[in-house]
Amino acid sequence: MRRIISQAGKEIAQFRRDKLTLALAFLLPSVAMLLYGYATRLESKNIPVAVRNFDNGALSRDYIDTIFANGQLVNTPWHDPLRLRSAPASVLSSSAMGPLDLGEAKATITIPPEFSRRIRQGQASDVQVIIDATDVNNARVIKNSILATTGYFLRSQKLSQVKNLVTTKVRLWFNPGREEALYVAPGATAVILWIFPCLLSALAMSREKEQGTILQLYASSISSFELVVGKALAYTAIAFVQAFIVISMAAVLFGLRLVGDPSIYLISTTAFLASAVLFGLFVGTRANTQSAAVQMVATTGFTTALLLSGFLYPLRNITYPLSLICNILPARYFVEASRNAFVRGSDFASQVHLPVALAICAIVLLVGAARIMRRMQLSGGS
Amino acid sequence: MATNARNYRHQIRALIVKELRQIMRDKQLIFLLFFMPVLQLFLYGFALSPDVEHLRLGVIDHAASPTSREAVAALVENGVFDLTASGGTENTLAKNVRDGNLEAGLIIPPEFQREIKHGTRVSMQVMLDGVDANTAGIANGYISQIVSTFNRQLVTGSQISHELVSPQITFAYNPGLISSWFFVPGVIALVLNLVSTMVSSAAVIREKDSGTLEQLLMTPVSSLQILLAKIIPLSILLMITVLVCLLISSVVFHVPFRGNIFLFLFVSFLSILVGIAIGIALAAFSQNQRQSLLTSFFVNLPVIQLSGAVAPLESIPEFFQVLSLLDPLRYYVTCVRAIILKGAGLEAIWPDVLALAAFATILLALSTSKFGRQLA
Repeated sequence: MRRIISQAGKEIAQFRRDKLTLALAFLLPSVAMLLYGYATRLESKNIPVAVRNFDNGALSRDYIDTIFANGQLVNTPWHDPLRLRSAPASVLSSSAMGPLDLGEAKATITIPPEFSRRIRQGQASDVQVIIDATDVNNARVIKNSILATTGYFLRSQKLSQVKNLVTTKVRLWFNPGREEALYVAPGATAVILWIFPCLLSALAMSREKEQGTILQLYASSISSFELVVGKALAYTAIAFVQAFIVISMAAVLFGLRLVGDPSIYLISTTAFLASAVLFGLFVGTRANTQSAAVQMVATTGFTTALLLSGFLYPLRNITYPLSLICNILPARYFVEASRNAFVRGSDFASQVHLPVALAICAIVLLVGAARIMRRMQLSGGS
Repeated sequence: MATNARNYRHQIRALIVKELRQIMRDKQLIFLLFFMPVLQLFLYGFALSPDVEHLRLGVIDHAASPTSREAVAALVENGVFDLTASGGTENTLAKNVRDGNLEAGLIIPPEFQREIKHGTRVSMQVMLDGVDANTAGIANGYISQIVSTFNRQLVTGSQISHELVSPQITFAYNPGLISSWFFVPGVIALVLNLVSTMVSSAAVIREKDSGTLEQLLMTPVSSLQILLAKIIPLSILLMITVLVCLLISSVVFHVPFRGNIFLFLFVSFLSILVGIAIGIALAAFSQNQRQSLLTSFFVNLPVIQLSGAVAPLESIPEFFQVLSLLDPLRYYVTCVRAIILKGAGLEAIWPDVLALAAFATILLALSTSKFGRQLA
């Protein structure tokens, strides 16, 4: 025990000496929190939509006003070099893609001639909508918005043929304003608190190997288990400081408040940070140089935490064999624990599996890292 | 003069051959050049999907009537919702939504069938898990569309709309709404940028670390020649990386290539130059490989996050919008998506190509001069 603590003390002292690492350890997570928190918005707002109105009645103008009334879509001018404003209907469809091809609009709406007159006479009139579907998610958002506003227009103008017998009262739970920050920020804390603690400990371990100081440790009386635990303790303590910074930023900038069971969140955080540090040590023992260690963290740790943790899109959308990997990723459990703690407000019983899963991850990683360490020690390799 | 020029070319050729041999020997570089891009492409392509389908729905049907069962069937029919729980009390349904076991809950009131028969309005209660704001928004849109189709069916007996205004919606470029078509081109751009930065900084810093740079300087070659000899073979290899990525995108993900391949290769070349320039700058500014790797995190994080490769940029705050204009990757991502998916030509993307060319020129000039000064 004494040896573990002195090993941890030595790590902290070494960490504090290196100014670049020190700056990176606390500055990088903060920068990352700003970037992920502010610059990750899945749903577009103020989507540019170009409208061509070949009708000159009042009804079509009202219709256009309704489409842009809720602020999700924004009217953008239709650059029409050919000046086809009075062209016959057959020419219309051919050029309706123009603003999309140029990237000036995400959708075009073409209202046919005689729109108002036909509708006043009770005849149907087709409105042509073309949506840029390169961004699949926002194509759906645009479609839903246009259909919803068209329905509203018909009802408000008393033009609807169908009486709405069935209506729905939809309640959005936890996030009634659909603020994306509430979804992104808790997930971002998980991604950040995975990468950076992991990076630091991987660097520390691979540095000992690269500089050969690990041979001194082999020669000393410290066991491989004590060595790993000592390093893990030191870097978990540093990770807690990082966690404090990142979570405070999330609280101040994005208004996150702890609404769930605090004990579960605290245990989950501890197990998660320990897992991150131990994964870093594990990588560090495998890599022979610091640069190899950084690259291993970047490819294995970073991409999996970003892509397979449910940070951006729901986990159930991940294709089958790949989705199996999610189950062994600590970040996947911590993303859920953070959202439970800050948005959902879950109680103890409903999420007790999360800290358990995280603790299992930490133990497996600890045993794994200590094993590799011992094998290296016995073979005398570095 | 002529012999001088020939001499210059000979020296560069010799250096390029040396450089190529060195790269081929370096397992780490080969991994970065060819395996990492493939790996990332697979990961991003298969993992990122914003589809809204198979949401778990719990239903309590107090009416237990043919009409209410039809309403539930209408909701479940097209795969947006899966009926995972039915029956039970309203409290257990609410608890299941609260605990995240269900994404949506539906409560149909007892008077459902009766009121509809009398032609009076009746309301169903829907609870939606709003934690994932994006999914909840789209699911909400689907619900209202499904309910309006259901109403039409009830009143007119047909699902076909006879409304006076009916938008005829066409999805351009990606009619099947396949999400990998959006992500794969973005990731090609992202990976190429990442790889060219990492590879070039590794190639330069390696000589710095091992001290072979000084040896090279003692030979009659200039520092510009040394750099050219690094840039030329790397850009050739990185162009191969681009082609490999393109192959995977069409063979594995079936992403159509609608544009001009030469335009695509040209903008890719510009982007490779940008990446190489950033890599050289990273190497020039840091003392050793460790420092260059750590500072690369500082550079890559904002470059990736503000490029629009993974999440769209349209709704991020103004300040970050402006910041993203300084991100060279942003322009390349726009070009790649426009060329591959839209078949856009130079007339549509020239502002982006111009910006990319400007970045390539400025960054190359800056990094080579910094590198040259360090050697002098």
